[in-house]
Amino acid sequence: MIRFEHTRFAYDKTPVIDDVSFTVAKGDFAALIGANGAGKSTITKLCNGLLKPQSGRVVLNGLDTKTTKTSLLAKTTGFLFQNPDRQICKNTIAEEILFGLEFVFDDEAKRKDQCQFVLEQFKFDGKRDPFSMSRGERQRIALASLLARDPQIMILDEPTTGLDYRECTQIMEMIAERNASGVTVLMVTHDMEITQDYAKHVLVLNQGKLLGDGDVADVMTNRAVLEAASVSPAQIPALAMRFGPAFTHVSTPEQMAERIARGCRA
Amino acid sequence: MMAGFLDYIPGTSFLHRLNPLTKLLFSLILCVSCFVTDLHLFILGLILLNLALGFYSGIARRSLRILSALIKFSIVLFIVQVLVIHDGTALFYLTKSMPITDLGVSFSLLFVMRLIAATMPLTLMLSVTQMSDLSNVLVEKLGIPFRYTFALTTAIRFIPVFAAEMGGIVEAQTARGVAFDTKNIFKKLTLLLPLCVPLLISSVKRIESGAISAELRGFNLRKRGSGYKQYGIQGIDILALAVVVVIFVLGILF
Repeated sequence: MIRFEHTRFAYDKTPVIDDVSFTVAKGDFAALIGANGAGKSTITKLCNGLLKPQSGRVVLNGLDTKTTKTSLLAKTTGFLFQNPDRQICKNTIAEEILFGLEFVFDDEAKRKDQCQFVLEQFKFDGKRDPFSMSRGERQRIALASLLARDPQIMILDEPTTGLDYRECTQIMEMIAERNASGVTVLMVTHDMEITQDYAKHVLVLNQGKLLGDGDVADVMTNRAVLEAASVSPAQIPALAMRFGPAFTHVSTPEQMAERIARGCRA
Repeated sequence: MMAGFLDYIPGTSFLHRLNPLTKLLFSLILCVSCFVTDLHLFILGLILLNLALGFYSGIARRSLRILSALIKFSIVLFIVQVLVIHDGTALFYLTKSMPITDLGVSFSLLFVMRLIAATMPLTLMLSVTQMSDLSNVLVEKLGIPFRYTFALTTAIRFIPVFAAEMGGIVEAQTARGVAFDTKNIFKKLTLLLPLCVPLLISSVKRIESGAISAELRGFNLRKRGSGYKQYGIQGIDILALAVVVVIFVLGILF
């Protein structure tokens, strides 16, 4: 579980995160959306203790990030950066995955098993050089390295940026699969279609303040909140908003089809 | 985000208004002045002068940050030097075979003070000079081919970029459990070694894309007369150079 309690953070004098409070429950899939500079990446860094709040608290699985070392929080929390090249530092995929496992499992046999399992799951040749692979492939390696550690919480900072549709779907399906098995996910994204398709819970951030916090269907059809945060809704909610009040809270193709059918019958 | 420690800080101070060539000479002569004297007080005076210039130019915060970083580094160097220099009269003994001598302390102090006093003017100069101006003046006034001045200014410009990149890499590795949050400096140094790989990869990529971009914009066509900006020598340049030459001469005399 991730809990922010009246958290405030500033790099200099101007607060980047200002009195933000929210909870992402165990097993939840939360999407953090907002315009560039809203403070989304700062929120993710506050989550795993890379940044410490100047006031308020951030609690991860009961541990206060202010008083707990990041390396200790990392044992249960996985972080996927937007740029995989900052994470990858080994010459083969297998070495890269094993390097991440060194900090989580003491047992070498367990580390090798986990590595093998993930290599097979991702269909990777463990001997390949990660730096000779495409950007999308390197992002998959970073994700594989994260998933191999069996984190209880996954924090993802724009994991699909720069990927094509197929790569993006592959990565999101793997994340969704872990979420289905009880892993808590907090994902920063600019992609409203992904938010619509995968998230259960949406947090809307604007200029360091939390504007929206609720169920995906409620937040993604709330025109006022989305406009205030300079966010365009996904296609179905955008269409529903154009159709007027009869289509309120329509956010999926099924709901849209049902409303249209109901309108035709009437 | 905080600016990198060598980024240009805009301003209108006396130092900002100097000719880039004057700034370069001023800082180089200040650097050399540290090495022509063995007087601790003189070098301390140079450090204070650098600090005062930093405050006057509106870059007080950065000057203090640089001084603080240099002091931290100097403490390590000072300890190492004091431990390995055994000449002179023993002040006290750490162990039977490890004396701390007056000469060791004096020389180590001089060594670290020189380091601080020689580094500060260059960082000060880079903080008040735009890289493009520095590059242009080296081409225009000294006739150095643009490709060399470009290489020099690009290398300087990339220092904060690579420092920021390294910061990002350290963050990414800390987030996956590498104990960079340890207080043991030797352990931290050992952990930093594997990170040279991602830093090297990103640096090469950045340099390659920079080179392609420069070539596409006619990099090789640039000649000595290509720049439109004129860099004249004014009264304040002569005054600044006169002051620094006096400091240099005083250094030799003392």
